Amino acid sequence: MSARVGIIGIGQSNFQARRDDASYPDLVREAVVLAMKDANLGFDDIEAVVYSLSPDAMVGIGNAERLGVDAVGARNKRFLRINTGGATGISSVATAWTHVAAGACDVVLTAGADKVGECGDSQTVLNKIWDPIYERSLPLGTINMLAMSAVRYMHKYGMTEDDMARVVVKNRRHAAKNPHAHLRKETTIEEVMASRMISWPVKLFDCCPQSSGGAAMILASERYIKERGLDAVWITGLAHSSESYYLGDRMGRHVTADHADAHALAASFRKSYAMAGIKDPARQVHAAELYAPFSNTEFHSIEAAGLAGLGQSPAMLREGAFALGTNAGPVVNASGGVLCTNAIAVTAMSRIAEAALQVWGRAGERQVKGARIGIASGNGGDHQFFGTMVVEA
Amino acid sequence: MTARTRIGVVGAVIKPCIAEDGTLSLEERLHQAMHETLVDARMTTADLEGIVVAANDQYDGRAISIMMASAPLGGVDRDILSTPSAGEHAFVLGALRIASGQFRTQLVAAWSPTEASSIPEAQRLAADPYFHRRLPLDELSAAALQANALEHAAPGAGDLAATLLATNRANGARAFPSLVSADIEPGRLTRWPLREGTVPAPVTGLVVMMLASEDFVTERGLGPVAWISGMGWATEPAFLGDRELASAPALQAAAKQAYGEAGVTDPAASFDIAEVTDVTPYQQLLALEGLGLAARGEWQAKLAEFGPKGRLPVNLSGGVGSLNPVYCTGLIRIAEVANQLRGRVGAHQKQGVRRGLAHAASGPAMQYQTVVVLESAKGSAAA
Repeated sequence: MSARVGIIGIGQSNFQARRDDASYPDLVREAVVLAMKDANLGFDDIEAVVYSLSPDAMVGIGNAERLGVDAVGARNKRFLRINTGGATGISSVATAWTHVAAGACDVVLTAGADKVGECGDSQTVLNKIWDPIYERSLPLGTINMLAMSAVRYMHKYGMTEDDMARVVVKNRRHAAKNPHAHLRKETTIEEVMASRMISWPVKLFDCCPQSSGGAAMILASERYIKERGLDAVWITGLAHSSESYYLGDRMGRHVTADHADAHALAASFRKSYAMAGIKDPARQVHAAELYAPFSNTEFHSIEAAGLAGLGQSPAMLREGAFALGTNAGPVVNASGGVLCTNAIAVTAMSRIAEAALQVWGRAGERQVKGARIGIASGNGGDHQFFGTMVVEA
Repeated sequence: MTARTRIGVVGAVIKPCIAEDGTLSLEERLHQAMHETLVDARMTTADLEGIVVAANDQYDGRAISIMMASAPLGGVDRDILSTPSAGEHAFVLGALRIASGQFRTQLVAAWSPTEASSIPEAQRLAADPYFHRRLPLDELSAAALQANALEHAAPGAGDLAATLLATNRANGARAFPSLVSADIEPGRLTRWPLREGTVPAPVTGLVVMMLASEDFVTERGLGPVAWISGMGWATEPAFLGDRELASAPALQAAAKQAYGEAGVTDPAASFDIAEVTDVTPYQQLLALEGLGLAARGEWQAKLAEFGPKGRLPVNLSGGVGSLNPVYCTGLIRIAEVANQLRGRVGAHQKQGVRRGLAHAASGPAMQYQTVVVLESAKGSAAA
């Protein structure tokens, strides 16, 4: 395998429901400026840009990356856009890694932004990801899609609605310590249970918000980092894996992957761990930033990451696992996770940014004490595309 | 790219114009083309380590078009990414993924359906919603503005463009006699100075390629192979008002990258064939200049060199001016050059091709520029 690739700069907006003060390119630029300042670099230092943008329809502009070229300073430079739905952010960081690992560039910027809070109704947009003939008219959305996963998980492993609420309570407590998070108000199991039913068993508080904001990261080669004596953390493992497109292929008697679990996410984590040399993630990982836009999906993500056995994570959470301040085992979503902030185009990038800040020891009030190994994941499409990454100090 | 491994094109299937007869869905056509590519490469699905695809959500009528393509292209349980910025960017990323050492093989695909009720309307959605969308500005309008700018900067460009178009259409008629006619009926003005008969109508098309590392090629004894010896890509901004449309600085940047890697110091004397993107023949003139094949003052004198019997035939396939599957025209240019080097193009094959040049351009007025140098034998001496 190639020489190491390091993260040398991170920029994130303070995500909100609306950003009427900033256009879409303005939001991208905001994150880029923060990352440049963090890395102490100028635009002349950037050799290539990987643009992170999920569905065009979310920002109401076709191929909106074209309007972002100046925002990221890419004029007459290497530039391409990545889209794997919700996984786009992690796929973009992986692609930036690829540029450096391939020897094409020493310094690569990846950046993007989203205005989900201003798109009208994200579920109307997201319904259009399904096949127009067979599944779009059901009508499917990402909420009822993953509500069906919750029902299946309840049936297989005995998860309760209280268990789901417990995830929300933990993550909101974490988000209250994260200045970048969108939903920062702590809550209780009772409040979650009393919130409006959206798609049984998923209630309003079990759902992620629709956020607006940007994120950017700068990656560099080990040679560049060492020659300039830069501070960095390292990407030591990365992979992607995919499931089928049609939800019908995950249900019934002849499933290719059970909709309760996250089969391809687990496969992706296995590949990332193998690359990073991690053999026992439950013991070795300190901070996990797992893409879970609905409370129930955090459980199968924890299990796919190898931090708990199949069906065991709800009971572990009941015993106090995965929370900041816990004395043993990995902390899951110390940032508050997707459940508290979801600007889709960069949500999975924030997962890596947060894991990187943890192992860098720069996570402020949400710092996991002594974190040296962090992991991140991103899910895209109809729970179809999964990207994973290992970040180490 | 200081490639840690040499990367080759070991399979390529081009469908530049698919009849919309309703017999097969896009998924079925992609699956069929993937299998044809595997057969061409003498590989099986089990050899497939990763996939990069490119498609346009607005043309496809889907919010994330990669989703549909995952299964037909073998993506389930595999690593699949998409580069919706341009079809040719899928090739760039596929090659980078192998060069990184993480993969030994990559399937690369792009497609362009014509089922959208209006492709120009779909393109207008890409304009800034506040200032430019109401103009209305589609890609043909941008190409026409570029043609005007070039005619102003280089008087006489229109006459040269007419000659180039005639050459390309004649090439297209030889390459695809059932699809392309050499006769040009200019017809009425569509966007000044472009006339309806001189701009290619959008058609449905797709292209699938297989890339492999040198060690994989050697281990499996694969061939023929078109080796990537240089690759460059760059962008200009989207807003036409910020650009000098009669020049192509991003193309010059991309060519500099590609030629630097390939060791090409005199491009005009270095290639046996070239495929360049020419939504209009004015774009071909800009490409010839940006690629260093003919300076602006040399266009007239060098035009014969680029004909089918010339020293450096350009667009033996007929180019985009003959067949225009809008979104995948750039990747098709790369696949055409690869198949020329592999001796696989059919009627328009040039004999003895050892080094070829592919130019891909996408977006309004050639916003994205990509240059790929391919060679038939590894280690060919640079010019």
